[in-house]
Amino acid sequence: MVLLAKAALGLGGTLVLAGAYAFRDGLIRVDVDEYRAGGSHVHMWVPAAMVPMAMHFVPKHDLCDAAQHAREVLPTIHAFAKELKKLPNVDLIEMIDGGKHAQFRTRSGNLQVDVDSADEHVHLRVPLSTLDDVVGQLEESGPGV
Amino acid sequence: MFSANRGLAMKTALISAMVLALLPVRAPAQGGAAPAKPAPSRSSAAAENAERWLHVRVISTDGRGETVRVNLPLELAEKVLPAVNHDRLHNGKVRIDPSEMNDVDLRALMEAIRTAKEGQYVTVEGDDNHVRVAKEGNHLTIHVRDKSASKKSQVEVKVPIKVIDALLSAGKDELDLVAALHALGAQGDTELVSVQDSENTVKVWLDSKNVAD
Repeated sequence: MVLLAKAALGLGGTLVLAGAYAFRDGLIRVDVDEYRAGGSHVHMWVPAAMVPMAMHFVPKHDLCDAAQHAREVLPTIHAFAKELKKLPNVDLIEMIDGGKHAQFRTRSGNLQVDVDSADEHVHLRVPLSTLDDVVGQLEESGPGV
Repeated sequence: MFSANRGLAMKTALISAMVLALLPVRAPAQGGAAPAKPAPSRSSAAAENAERWLHVRVISTDGRGETVRVNLPLELAEKVLPAVNHDRLHNGKVRIDPSEMNDVDLRALMEAIRTAKEGQYVTVEGDDNHVRVAKEGNHLTIHVRDKSASKKSQVEVKVPIKVIDALLSAGKDELDLVAALHALGAQGDTELVSVQDSENTVKVWLDSKNVAD
């Protein structure tokens, strides 16, 4: 009985630590709701730490291709993410057009994009550190690196 | 039995220690499901750091009621611009095609304005338009008023001379945007552009706040 309890404690502790590791960078959150008959509703929460890890499993030539295609914008996104990380919670861009409302802002180290209209609601939240990591990995995967 | 348990406990501790050792030293991002701890407003902090923010506000009063608000720290623009290499923009500098300048020497023009006395340089009074270009204090101001009944628009542009100098500080046929932003950051709170007509209001200004209004 004591052995089982200790094993459970060990397993539980390891799970907690694994959870803490997986969620240490926060969550990537994607919510899409289409307000029409048969409209899609996507709600996806992904531990941000998984993304750079998952990129290690992407075939190198695919990463190289992606880096090649995005080579012009990668330094810009990298610099942008790096600078955005230093910012406080700020509304960078807000657009209101009739019934549509789009916001591009930083919230607690995350880049948050919200689009609301009568037809749909889109919410995207990405930790800036993840964005920086992913772009960094893509830059390193580029041809000639 | 006790030694077996101790072995298991040791293994668990070892695994836990390894996982802990692998955890990077980084402040956890507060996001997702966890309730975000409200970050302190940086208006005061920004002021302490003399952070400068460029604001753009466009309000359209036509049927759709379009509104655009942009708040951008100048430092961010200064750091990001050199990373943009597209078309004529490279390393924070824009290349000017001399053929588009109609033989106007911008540097000579600016030198003349800098050394000239303050006052109105150009005034054009037409039936529909009134245009005025003047040097006022350390600023170059351009004022355009469209008097036609359909628009009745008014445009005010106020640019610090130092910013124009910085803009022209690059090599020949180049405008140094980063230097201009840097010079702009050294200016006090100022309204740079104001456009007003019957349907739209546009305002571009600089201050130390991270909110538009």
